[in-house]
Amino acid sequence: MDLLTPDTGLMFWTVLTFALLYFVLGKFVWKPVGEVLDEREARLNASLEKAEEAQKSAEAALEKNKEMLTEARNEVQELIAKGKKTAESVREDIIAEAKSEATALIDRARKEVNLEQEKALDEIRKLAVDLSISATQKVIGKALSEKEHQQLVSQSFEDLGELN
Amino acid sequence: MILVYNLLSSVLPSDPAEQHSSGGGDDIMHHVLDHDILHLPTVLGVDLSISYHTLMMWIASALLLFFLTPLFRKRNIIPKGRFANSIEAIVEFLRQDIIYNYIGKEGKKFENYLLTVFFFILTNNLMGLVPGGAAATSDISVTVTLTLLTFSMVLGAGIAHHGFFGYWKGLIPGGVPGWLIPVLFPIEILGILAKHFALAMRLFANMTAGHITILALIGLVFTFNSYFIAPAPVIVAATIGVLEVLVAFLQAYIFTLLSGVFIGASVHQDH
Repeated sequence: MDLLTPDTGLMFWTVLTFALLYFVLGKFVWKPVGEVLDEREARLNASLEKAEEAQKSAEAALEKNKEMLTEARNEVQELIAKGKKTAESVREDIIAEAKSEATALIDRARKEVNLEQEKALDEIRKLAVDLSISATQKVIGKALSEKEHQQLVSQSFEDLGELN
Repeated sequence: MILVYNLLSSVLPSDPAEQHSSGGGDDIMHHVLDHDILHLPTVLGVDLSISYHTLMMWIASALLLFFLTPLFRKRNIIPKGRFANSIEAIVEFLRQDIIYNYIGKEGKKFENYLLTVFFFILTNNLMGLVPGGAAATSDISVTVTLTLLTFSMVLGAGIAHHGFFGYWKGLIPGGVPGWLIPVLFPIEILGILAKHFALAMRLFANMTAGHITILALIGLVFTFNSYFIAPAPVIVAATIGVLEVLVAFLQAYIFTLLSGVFIGASVHQDH
């Protein structure tokens, strides 16, 4: 057995051993390992894709939320503005109503005053008539007949009317 | 000078008369060379005797089968255990770095071969570092056999991919003038043979050289026979031993890499 001379016996055993290893390891080790590696790669890729998708959808949701928030804010703003407007109009209405009521009250008061005035004038007139009658009676010294009385009164009314 | 001469004569084959006087050289050669441990009959000119290297190769193969086969019974998508993880990492590295990198899509067909070659050589290399063990890959018979297997893979891949005549034709680079072909063809054939010869020699020489170096260094202890000098060769031998671990992995990787490259070159001749 020399250092550089291949020995056919060992070569034969090497081929045999290697062939056995090739088939056994190939079937029970390299194949499953390869499959596991391939599957892991595929799964990692898939989960990466999924994660990316999830991020995208999360971003979209965030965007949507932001949009909704702005919308809600706008709506609130609008509502406040509307409320303000309504309040304003209600205030104006109330003021106008109060004003008109006040005018009506003043009018009524005026009318009443006028009526009272009228009444008072009437009374004054009556009193004046009575006074004039009694004064005349005293002056004339006798009572006038009913007929004359009537005539006198109407005449004095006419005079008064002319005076008015 | 006598020492250097002794060392050289221990490494190089020397005539028997001198071997008697070379002392340690005999021991080193005895360790490096193979010897039969079980005599079996010769069949068809092949001596089937079980030698020490055969036994070591079987032990290495048995270890491989024993440790690797049960490892991936359950096809765990999430890796389990450090050993399984490291094996997976090596397999993935070889697949990415050699098989798919140099052979491409066709690499799938050679995956089993290249992975088996790597782990076979690696385990055998490491067997040489076990006390009392020996690396079957430091035997030229084993490396030549592995190279012949690679060579047949190269030829098989080339012929399967380009056809029998297409493969030989493809050895000549395109655009070569016709009169050059008779010159170029033998050169290409020689090139292929030389590449594979170097493949066998590289592994054999690297594994043998490491062992011889360590043995020679240990031999110094006995040559000098002195307590003062003894630690130095031991320290150096230990350092070389650590280096040997690296070499064991490196040579397994290089053999696998070059096998992959040769197969790849045979499949993609135009590159």
